[in-house]
Order: sequence, then structure tokens, then C-alpha cells
Amino acid sequence: MTTTDIPAPTARPYQPAGTPKRRPKREREGAAWVFLSPWVLGAIVLTLLPMAVSLYLSFTDYDLFNPPRWVGLRNYVQMFTEDPRYWRSVITTLTYVVIAVPLQLALALLVALALKSMKRGRAFYRSAFYAPSLLGASMSIALVWRALFNDGGTVDNLLGTGGWVNKPGWALLAVALLTVWQFGAPMVIFLAGLQQIPAELYEAAAVDGAGRWRQFRSVTVPMLSPVLFFNLVLQTIQAFQVFTPAFAVSAGKGGPADSTLVYTMYLYDRGFVASHMGYASAMAWVLLLVIGAVTAVLFRTSRSWVFYASDADGGVR
Amino acid sequence: MPGHRTKGFCASALTLALCAVLAGCGGSGESVGGGKVVLRYTWWGNPDRAERTEQAVALFEKQHPNVTVQTSFSGYDAYKQKLATQAAGGDAPDVMQLDYRQIDQYASGGVLLDLAKEKATLRTSEIDPGLLGTGRVDGAQYAVPQGRGTETVVYDVQAWKASGVPLPRLGWTWTEWADAVRALARKTGKPGATDPGQSEDAFEVWLRGRGKALYTKDGRLGFTTDDLTRWWTFTDGLRREGAVSPAEQTTQLDGSVENTPLGRGKATSDTNWDAPSSGYLAIVKGGVALAPMPSGKDGTPGQYFKPSMFLGVAANTGHPKEAAELVDFMINSREAAKILGATRGIPVNETIREETASQLKDFDKTVADFQASLEGTLKDPPQAPPSGDNALQTTFQRDYDQVSYTRMSPREAAENYVTEAKAELRS
Repeated sequence: MTTTDIPAPTARPYQPAGTPKRRPKREREGAAWVFLSPWVLGAIVLTLLPMAVSLYLSFTDYDLFNPPRWVGLRNYVQMFTEDPRYWRSVITTLTYVVIAVPLQLALALLVALALKSMKRGRAFYRSAFYAPSLLGASMSIALVWRALFNDGGTVDNLLGTGGWVNKPGWALLAVALLTVWQFGAPMVIFLAGLQQIPAELYEAAAVDGAGRWRQFRSVTVPMLSPVLFFNLVLQTIQAFQVFTPAFAVSAGKGGPADSTLVYTMYLYDRGFVASHMGYASAMAWVLLLVIGAVTAVLFRTSRSWVFYASDADGGVR
Repeated sequence: MPGHRTKGFCASALTLALCAVLAGCGGSGESVGGGKVVLRYTWWGNPDRAERTEQAVALFEKQHPNVTVQTSFSGYDAYKQKLATQAAGGDAPDVMQLDYRQIDQYASGGVLLDLAKEKATLRTSEIDPGLLGTGRVDGAQYAVPQGRGTETVVYDVQAWKASGVPLPRLGWTWTEWADAVRALARKTGKPGATDPGQSEDAFEVWLRGRGKALYTKDGRLGFTTDDLTRWWTFTDGLRREGAVSPAEQTTQLDGSVENTPLGRGKATSDTNWDAPSSGYLAIVKGGVALAPMPSGKDGTPGQYFKPSMFLGVAANTGHPKEAAELVDFMINSREAAKILGATRGIPVNETIREETASQLKDFDKTVADFQASLEGTLKDPPQAPPSGDNALQTTFQRDYDQVSYTRMSPREAAENYVTEAKAELRS
């Protein structure tokens, strides 16, 4: 084991000889808490407390007006056994994740590769490709998207597709494309990762007679895999929570025929349209657990495909 | 000592934070300087309605110098959510506009004041008893309707006349309506009407024509899976023939006239509420006319005069008398009626309605004439829909989407709907 070989003294924090001065450290901690207090208060009042309340509400029947009524596991039972629309929303969300995440990452990587090999104007194009991510979060772009893919819209006129947003088989793709188009964040991260790969590796590979594809497969992909993994986890978590594009592209309805009724849309519908806050809270907790589980699975599989250069070098670099 | 300074800092920081929290929580309906009463009054609607309402409120303030009214308005969806949150927090506005579908929920939630307590101030004697009854929940008057509307078959006059198909008439049946839209489709080459299958409102008219109702008196479902299957089989059949709008058009309905097939020039007629149909004037070149909804086989009318907007007073208002005065002013004042016109429908005060009838112009007059033509022929409106109805309206559209996109048979979808509705009404 290499870790036991590391000399012990450097592994421990520095400790001054004879330690009578404990109080100043406690005082420093106190000051730290004072400076942290706005954040800590915010985290407790705006995040932890509401989460605790929503956990409680998930076991109640609560319509916003009458006090919550304890119903035990009924919300969860109803969700899993009596609500076909719930399962349709689960399938819709999974389909969306499977379409949007790989497409978005592939596009981000392609553009990052192209940017990396550019000699001039890289900063400009990097900003230009990032712009949709800044705009995309806005409602207005989502509405423009709906107009683009509506019947009589631009895409319909160009391709004669007849309005994707009104076709159950195609509407979700229109929503996914809006997400894919916002590939700026993963692209910038990919680009940073690509620039970290030592040029010697490519030179060595070229000397060994590797072509561009071979270099990509045997140098770029393994060296980039930690960044790829990071992007994959991040985008998957985000994709499970997709709301705005689905909401706007379907004009707030999740249609046609429930084809864009993703999980959070149905959650919103149950909570704020049907006034079943207890049921909506239960849905939110199931989503949290599922995202946690999926992330855990991704981490587990990462052991077999993510390559950390530092491991290979025995931590010397 | 540094330690003490830290403690002192901690304490003052905490005090500051607490002050900020406390400052955020003010009471509702409080009085401000000079002993003036401050009322909050909210409604939903478009800017035109807002402008006319502000004018009326200004007049009210002039007549009641001790009262200041703080107004706010927004679109219906946003309004609905905001009001729900305010009401849940015990902070409902003193005077609020309510929809027929909200009354039961708010009344049973204890948000609304029983208006009988202020009947010395708020006069209701000049409102049709049947219409007034729509604001009652469990025998108590929680809200007063401000106007009334009714469903209509609104059609492109020019296109319908040019097609040679006989015009709709009072007392026509659903069978005659179906024949008409088929004939229109043949003659004009486009669907004769919006597919009414998605509309809970249209279904209610059809159901009432058969002597049934959406809900029973005790708030249960008033129809069976068979009834709904029959309705959806009827409309689905017409859709398959091309007599009513295709699924791709129907699914785009969102409550605005612009997104109806008639508004897009893709159909000759639509089923809608009468007052909002004014929106068609700007987009249908041939002009529009209003016809009665079809009735049952034996001539039983299904449509009714629905109270279009209610005014309610918050149960925990600090000034119930002044709030009741404002409601009374909005409903019973001649000057207010003159300013408001038909922005919330035809006035409910019968004396005022007769007086102002001759002064109405443009589409206000069309609506008034249409309602006058139905006067005396319709049955009493149903009582306020139970709390779950708000959500069921959306469910109704969704389930019919499954039918019109041929993903479910009418019976499967109807079974789904009835199951969901029963669960919704139980909770």
C-alpha cells in the first residue's frame, strides 16, 4: 500500500510545541459562525425547515386551507398503485432523460473539440455557444421554441413536419431539443478538461502511429473521463428535474395527450392546480430519493470507466 | 475582551434578524394614520377591466372619505395561486373576486365571511333569487355574483350563411347540431365546429339536456361512466368524420379565443361563454353571431345563466362593515354600473340591468340581446361545484386528449375519469 509509505509528520496538521493557547481558536470559530450566520440562517429557514415540513406534509392530506390531516402512507400508496398518470409521468421523464442527456453531452463535447483545435477567435465562439444557456433559462425563449415547432411555425414551414408540439410522438423531442441547445455549461467544462490533457500524450501517440480517431479513443476519452463523469452526473440530476421547457412548450398543460407531462409538471399540477399539497410533497420526496439512487448507481459504475491520472501515477504528479 | 465583543455581536446580529422577521408579519385590514380604514380589494381580469374598476373604486373613496381601498389585479391563473397562498396564510384580502369553482373550497375552509352578518349594509333584494343562490354554501350566503354569463354556439356569420346550411335556432337539439356541423364540413371543406368533447362545460350542457347534472346536491358525481362514454363516443365519431376539429387543433385550446379553431380560421363555429366571445370580432373577418346551445331530445335546455364572478369578504377582515359597503357599491350603485358597463357581464341588479340595457353598445349589446332571447326558457343553475371540480376540469381535457389522439377508447377514458373524479371528490 502506498499510503502507509507516506512519512507521517507531513500528514498531520502543524501543531505548535506545548499547546496552552486553546481559547483564541475557539474565539476564531465563534467569529466564523457570526460571519457564516446569514448563510446558516438562510439554509435553515429556507432549505432545511421547508424540507422537514414537506416531509411531514407528505404523510398528510393538505389542501392549503384546512389544517393538514395525517393519513400515514396513503399518498405513497395512491401514487404507486392507483394513479396511472403518475406512472405515465415517470416514463415520460425517463424517456426525456435518456434522450436529452446523451444528446446534450455529445453536442457539448463535439463543440468543445472543435473549439480546442481553433487557432483564432476561440473566446468569441466560446461565448457565442454559451449564450443559449444564458437565454435558455428564460421563459421567452421557451415560448419562441413553442412558436418555432407549432403548426404554421418555422420548422413546419421548412420541413413540413406539421407542428411537433401538437403530436404526442414528437412533442417531447421538441422539449429535449431546447435543453440540448443549452449545452454551454458542459461545453465550457469539457473545454477546460481538454486543455488539461498534456500535449506529450498526443505526441507520443502520434509517434506510435495512432490516427486521429485512435488518439481520441485512447488519449482524449480516458483523460477526459473524470470531466465526462462530472458532466453526466450534473446533467442527469438536472434532467430529472426538468420543468420550464416542458411547461412552456406545452403551454402549461403537459400535452398533447400527456406526452410532455414530466414528473415535476405533474407534481406542480397536483400541488398548485389540484391543491393536493400532501400528495405533491410525497412526489417530491420520491423524486429526491430516485435522483439520489440514480446518482449512487452512476458513482458505482464510474469505478469501471472513469480514469484518474493521479491514480495511475501513484499520486506523484 | 475579544470574547465579549463576539458575544455582543452575536446578540445584536440575532436581534436584527428577529426584527426583520417580525417586521415581515403585519396584520390584515389594519388602520393607518388619521383613523382611516384601509381595505384590500383584488380581482382578476384584463387591463380594460382594471381601468374601469379603478375608476369605480375612486368614486367609492370619494363617497366614503374615511376609507382607502388598495387594489391589485392579475390574470386568472396567477390570481388563483396568489389568493390560495394568501388565504392559507390567513392573509386573504378584505374584498376578493371569486370564481364559481372557488366558493365551496374557500367557504368550507373558513376563509369567507357569512354575508348575512352584514345584510343591513349589503342589499341583495334586487338580484334574481336563483342567481343569488349560486353564492350559497351549506345554506349561508358567502359570496354575491357580479354578473352572469351563459354558453353559446358562436359562429362565423358570413361563412355559415354562404354555406346554405340552415342557421341555428332556439331549441335545436344535439342531433340537429351534429347534422349542421356535418353539412358545414361538407360545404366549407373545414370542420363545422370545435370538438366539444374536451369541454366539461359543453358536457354539462349536454348532460343537463338529459335531465342529469355534473354533481349531485351532496357534491358527489352526478353521472355515470355510461353517460360520459356516450358523450365521448358522440364527439369522437364526429371528429373521425371530420365534422369537428382534429386532435391537433383541439389540444391547443387554452381558454383564449385566439387559439380556438374558429379564431384560427380552421372551423366555422365554437362553443364558448358569451361575454368572452367579444374577442372573435377582431379576428373573424365575417363577423360573429351568438346562437343558443343545443338542447336535449325532448327540448330540455342544458345551458343556464352561470354567475360569472363573485365578490366575497374575508372572514378575518378588521372592517366587515366597510368591506360590505364596497361590495354593495360594486353591485347596487347606479354610478358604479355606468362606469363598469358589462366588463364583468350583464349587471345582476335587475333594476340597473333594465336601466342600462338601452345604453349598452357594440358587443355588450349583442350579449345582452342574446341573454334576453333566452330569458325564461332556462332552468335554474346548479349549486356551486364541490372543491375538487377545479382540478377535474383539467383532468377532463386530458382524458379526452387520450380519446382524440386514439390512445384510448371513449369507454377506457371515461372509466379513468370517473375513477379519478370519485377519488378527487372523496378527499
